[in-house]
Amino acid sequence: MHGKDVTLEGVSITYPNGYTAVQPTDLKVEAGEFFSILGPSGCGKTTILRAVSGFNEPSTGRILIGGEDMAGIGPNARPTALIFQNLALFPLMPVWENVAFGLEARGISKRKRREKAQELLDLVALGDQGEKLPSELSGGQRQRVAIARALAVEPAVLLLDEPLSALDLKLRQHMRAELRAIQKKTGVTFIYITHDQGEALTMSDRIAVMNKGVVEQVGTGDEIYSRPRTAFAASFVGEVNRFDGRVESVANGQAVVTTALGQFRARNPEGMEPGSEAMLFVRPEAMAPLHSENRIEARLVRRDLEGAFLNLFFDAGGTEIAVHVTNDAKAPALVVGDTLALGFAPDAAVVLPAGALARTGQELAAQ
Amino acid sequence: MTSRSIISSDRLLSLYTGGFLVFMFLPLLLMILSSFNDASPPTVTDWRGWTGKWYAFFWMPEEALRADPVLRVLDRDRMIACIGNSLYVGAIVVPLSLLLGLSGAVLLTRWRAKANSVLWWILLSPMLAPGIVLGLSALVFWQRLGIDAGLFTIIMAQVTFIAGYPMLILMARLQRQPVELEEAALDLGASPFRVFRRLTLPYLAPALISAGVIAFMASMENYNTTMFARGGACTFATEIGAMGRNANGHPPVINAVGTVIILLTVAGAVVHTLLQRREQR
Repeated sequence: MHGKDVTLEGVSITYPNGYTAVQPTDLKVEAGEFFSILGPSGCGKTTILRAVSGFNEPSTGRILIGGEDMAGIGPNARPTALIFQNLALFPLMPVWENVAFGLEARGISKRKRREKAQELLDLVALGDQGEKLPSELSGGQRQRVAIARALAVEPAVLLLDEPLSALDLKLRQHMRAELRAIQKKTGVTFIYITHDQGEALTMSDRIAVMNKGVVEQVGTGDEIYSRPRTAFAASFVGEVNRFDGRVESVANGQAVVTTALGQFRARNPEGMEPGSEAMLFVRPEAMAPLHSENRIEARLVRRDLEGAFLNLFFDAGGTEIAVHVTNDAKAPALVVGDTLALGFAPDAAVVLPAGALARTGQELAAQ
Repeated sequence: MTSRSIISSDRLLSLYTGGFLVFMFLPLLLMILSSFNDASPPTVTDWRGWTGKWYAFFWMPEEALRADPVLRVLDRDRMIACIGNSLYVGAIVVPLSLLLGLSGAVLLTRWRAKANSVLWWILLSPMLAPGIVLGLSALVFWQRLGIDAGLFTIIMAQVTFIAGYPMLILMARLQRQPVELEEAALDLGASPFRVFRRLTLPYLAPALISAGVIAFMASMENYNTTMFARGGACTFATEIGAMGRNANGHPPVINAVGTVIILLTVAGAVVHTLLQRREQR
């Protein structure tokens, strides 16, 4: 099996009812890459996936797989296989026939189909379950049957639409590792759709963060977590403290922002000008008690012990601030009600344009 | 509500149910009973002793038939021929309505268009139209094309409305199958025909069988539409109708036939229920 690259050139998708689910998008997924598209429900990620698999036609632009234009090529003729959110296993066929279905459609003899199905079932550790019906398997086993069935047609690109969302937490975490291992073993290009940032961060080579039909940022998990380019990317991926304000001055790639809690300095990667509306983002683990810079007076309102970590929640003039510290000798001995000065290093915080998030922030809060 | 009034309303309900069952089944019981009474016209009050001759009518030797004062006036050969006609009509109506019903069901559940609701009413309207209208229109239509009324026009007239039953049954089943199953099969490289043969058809199999049984029963028992479309031909239902119109009361042979039909219907219903139970699993 060999992965192929997938290119979207100016692809936009408008439904017959006039709703534009995907705004013009350029995207390049490399061959053999584990690529995730991460976004809240309704952001257009599934629409993109269905367009790549051939169930939707783009309204504008074109989709290339391995450099070949896919216009006019139906889902049954594309080098892709799609794993549906509900798995869509065929309920009346035993597991091995499910796995071999794509081979049957290609006119391969029954003996060869059986052999190949057995090989794939062994790959997903279901070698002895071939004669059962899908309904007799557990959720995790069904999941693996769906993967084996998709891999049987030796796709160059495997498309996965939130396939783990129906599983319980423990199984989900186990399947993450398994999916990643299967991807590495087969070298197939994976395009993985999810609204779960944990899944995206742990499995992906690269992630596209998507919101309201727009791909806001593409990068590795580290890039997106540590260097978000938009307010949405900063707040959707991981926990974050947000301070709204206005840019006061800029110098040396940093900006000073005036907020209700005072003036703070942080990185200014988007080159914001003085006077513009801004949001300042700081990760909870970048906030530290008794830090010398960017000081905020705050009162501890909750202290959650997570074991190795302490999650501290402070109140500063009505703004909630989350602080994560490791639970070691250096952890401050605080009790609820204590007031102290928090702070953060300017390098660990980022100033981004407020624009898009003014809406999405509220919507996220409403969810 | 107090517990006393609950008890009395329960009692009222069982009384009603009991009355309803008596109303439904007493005539049938009387019919079955009189089919074993050696009296004609059929009666249960004037009991003349047990007999099986109203059943044996269909296979007793010619001499015995001619010796019986009631049975000898009946035209046995004609009656058997009419039953044969009914089986022949059913044998064509059932597959034809299954085919039409299946096409209609697939069209209405899988092909999404604005015309769907209009189509739905057009396809179902024959079920709601009066039977005589269907019979007459089939008669007029085919006569214009130079085809005389007979078994062919009976088949055509019956199919127009019987096809609606399989369509409704199959639609209900198709709507419960997630579209993703068919999409997944297409995605794995199957042609639409293979998807239909390997997924949709096996999924529909139990519904197709019960739809076939219902279509066959509808065809067998149909009287009004058949009556108008039959021309010189007869079916089981029209022949029974003709015999029943006898001013001196009908021969108990009809009761015997009715009893057999009840047995077949009950057996059919049991099979249908068993199939449905399997379908639910």
